[in-house]
Amino acid sequence: MTRDEIQDEVLKIFKEAFEIENPGLDDDLGEKYEFDSIDALDLLSRIEDLLGSSLTQNEKKQAMEIRTIRHIIDYVERMAAKRA
Amino acid sequence: MERRVVITGAAAITPIGHEKDEIVDSLVNGKSGVAPLRDDDLLSGYIHSKVYGTVGYPIAYEFERKYRKTMGPVSYYACQVAKEAIEAAGLEPGFLSSGRVGVAFGSTHGSPTVQRDIYKNFFSRSPTRFSSVGAVDYLKSMVHTTAVNITKMFGITGRVIASSTACATSSQAIGFGYETIKFGMQDAMVCGGADEYDTTTVAVFDNLLACSTDFNETPHLTPRPFDVRRDGLVVGEGAGAVILEEYDMARKRGADILGEVIGFSCNNNGGDLILPSPTGVAEVIRLGLENAGIRPDQVDFVSAHATATKMGDIIEARAIHSVYGDHPYVTGLKGYMGHTMASCGVIETIITLHMMEEGIIAPTLNLEEIDERCAMIRHTTKLHELPIRIASVENFAFGGVNTSVIIKRFE
Repeated sequence: MTRDEIQDEVLKIFKEAFEIENPGLDDDLGEKYEFDSIDALDLLSRIEDLLGSSLTQNEKKQAMEIRTIRHIIDYVERMAAKRA
Repeated sequence: MERRVVITGAAAITPIGHEKDEIVDSLVNGKSGVAPLRDDDLLSGYIHSKVYGTVGYPIAYEFERKYRKTMGPVSYYACQVAKEAIEAAGLEPGFLSSGRVGVAFGSTHGSPTVQRDIYKNFFSRSPTRFSSVGAVDYLKSMVHTTAVNITKMFGITGRVIASSTACATSSQAIGFGYETIKFGMQDAMVCGGADEYDTTTVAVFDNLLACSTDFNETPHLTPRPFDVRRDGLVVGEGAGAVILEEYDMARKRGADILGEVIGFSCNNNGGDLILPSPTGVAEVIRLGLENAGIRPDQVDFVSAHATATKMGDIIEARAIHSVYGDHPYVTGLKGYMGHTMASCGVIETIITLHMMEEGIIAPTLNLEEIDERCAMIRHTTKLHELPIRIASVENFAFGGVNTSVIIKRFE
């Protein structure tokens, strides 16, 4: 997946699963959209679907620092590269 | 300190209607909410009882995703009736979040629909399935899911009492909410219960031979509380919420007072977890009257638990007679909608409030020929235009838990 494709997929997840449309790439998701820890865990399972493989516990813990869409795209890109 | 506790809001989702007018119309015209059991692709094909107390109309939910994400079907019911009851009572957001308001609300076992999906994942034996159990599945299905989804939606910061005693769940919620206000620990409580469509509950009663099976082709003719042809209970779905409030505060803010809770009792049979106990049931009725400080002859109406099981109705009729004689009218409201499990106590309380307001006493639906073993009490066999001043709502649950809620028309 290219970075653009990852971005499209992430934005699609945000629209369909979290009802958040066209968020700014650097918006603080918690502050602006009330995106909380429950949503973060939900997002991780969707990222697993996107990657087609499970994330390890350590990989999931790394994701807990994520605050923006740009962070999410970085994270998915990194996880996809590890699995390439 | 003992304070008076009044009811300032009520809302119900029942098999016989959602709005008060619909429910009263069903009572007056003898309309049943029992329908054919719906196919659930799991157990419905194996269950002998093919009837269900069904909420067969759409409900216009308007919950934002931030609330929906932790709600299973049971919490949709619970939050909807809580919302309507809070709006009817006119409680302001600032008060709800003041710490002076709590929630007493429950369901039989969280959300069986969500639990089923969790177990499907576990038993699929696919290595990726374990992690597919969603982060919110527990929040949707845990036993206190209704109570805390209500706190979240309305920013309620006071006490949470999540009763979960099957058929006594919501009468306990009302009773414990009443005591919480009466003794000054909270000023208002959102009380009630809910249960969603669930065939596992039907299967349990079916396997105990306690479900109605003789009327699978004519669902509206069952259940038949106290009737000679009764053949068991009919499981149903629904929800109800009442707002209980300290009397002086309700008066000061000009609230519309629907009724007063004047007594509550709860006991346990101390033995068998399934069979009702004549001693335990009679005692809970007596304790309720004692708590309310009234004599048996002051009660005009008894909403009987009356599930239409062979033994349960006889034991209850005898217990009622041992305390009240044949004075109060007795109606088994489950004749209209089946047994809505965790929500039956609050739904029966709300229907009793409706009858108080309308000046009517509805008959036990499907009671055509009274079983002589239940005949010693004053059955309501037709619609009466009579005032109810004081009523007792009785509920009894698996586990030997019994309750009596005493309510009084507000004068």
